[in-house]
Amino acid sequence: MIRAFVLSLAMIAVALPAAAHKLRVFAFVEGETVKVEAKFSSGRIPKAGEVRVMDAEEALVLTLPLDPEGMTSFPLDPDAAADGLMIEVRAGDGHSNYWLLTPADIQRGRVGQ
Amino acid sequence: MKSLRLLSAAALAVTATAASAHYGMIIPSDSMVSQEDGRAVALEVSFSHPFEKAGMTLVKPAAFSVTHEGETTDLLGALEPATIMGEAGFTTEHALDRPGVHIFSMTPEPYWEPDEDAFITHFTKTYVSAYDDDEGWDAELGLKTEIVPLTKPFALWEGNNFQGIVKLDGEPVPYAEVEVEFYNEDGSAEAPSELMITQTVKADGNGVFTYAAPSAGWWGFAALSTAAEPLHFEGVDKDHELGAVIWVHFEEWK
Repeated sequence: MIRAFVLSLAMIAVALPAAAHKLRVFAFVEGETVKVEAKFSSGRIPKAGEVRVMDAEEALVLTLPLDPEGMTSFPLDPDAAADGLMIEVRAGDGHSNYWLLTPADIQRGRVGQ
Repeated sequence: MKSLRLLSAAALAVTATAASAHYGMIIPSDSMVSQEDGRAVALEVSFSHPFEKAGMTLVKPAAFSVTHEGETTDLLGALEPATIMGEAGFTTEHALDRPGVHIFSMTPEPYWEPDEDAFITHFTKTYVSAYDDDEGWDAELGLKTEIVPLTKPFALWEGNNFQGIVKLDGEPVPYAEVEVEFYNEDGSAEAPSELMITQTVKADGNGVFTYAAPSAGWWGFAALSTAAEPLHFEGVDKDHELGAVIWVHFEEWK
């Protein structure tokens, strides 16, 4: 189930560089907030970056900047996130990657499990 | 003819005894869990002869935990009794809430092995990477005895070397003996000699050993030493074998 969802969203992501230059992106839901973290495989934090949030239909929901700690957060929009979210981080120079928040991830984070 | 019969009778007797070494085992469903794979890892915990798939009874361990970013969480209560390789073992499933390396570790109760007239305790661990993040792959847990990886203990091709430092009480063990055995999960591997079931390498003077795995799959490394303090069995002092065991997965080269 998770694989099917991720694969469908991953189709959106094929335009991104496959190796993604080792930028690592992770996102999770805490209550009604989506939290995003990015770092390089070296452990270093990207100095700047753009976060693009898309819904399961590939529609852009919002963009926002990474903070100097390589993180950001935004309020969860339950309607836009109904079928999951793809959170892409572009840190410049082709360094980009994404995290797919599945409906199960979102549900788990909202109920605090 | 008589000698042949004797030989076959002897061979029958021998088949009942596993020729390989004992191993504490923690085998995860995946050593590298990507976001496409899911959000949890399943684990099989046992005490077995991995090449011959011969199980032994594992009573509830003294400790079973996961360590992530330096924080250790007790998972003993999450172990579910299960039959593994025909004998009592445990399974569990663990949610991987964060990226990075999650190290699963078991300290069993000492196992009385009458055939060897000794107790055996295998401090067993394995490293699982979550979501393509390998931070923490070289972490040392501070176990009584431990193999500290010098090679990332996952994301290895078959044929790669694996290197580690054998430690006892936090100190390297010069020329430590390390037994190496393949988990013959699908039974397809065959050993031309009993000597090939468990291979042995020695560490160098700094406690560093090296082994190149010839095939993909799970490989167990057990560095053995004898505890300074004996244990007692029926009022008699008995040797206590301490094993530092690490399970490492090698991937097929395609």
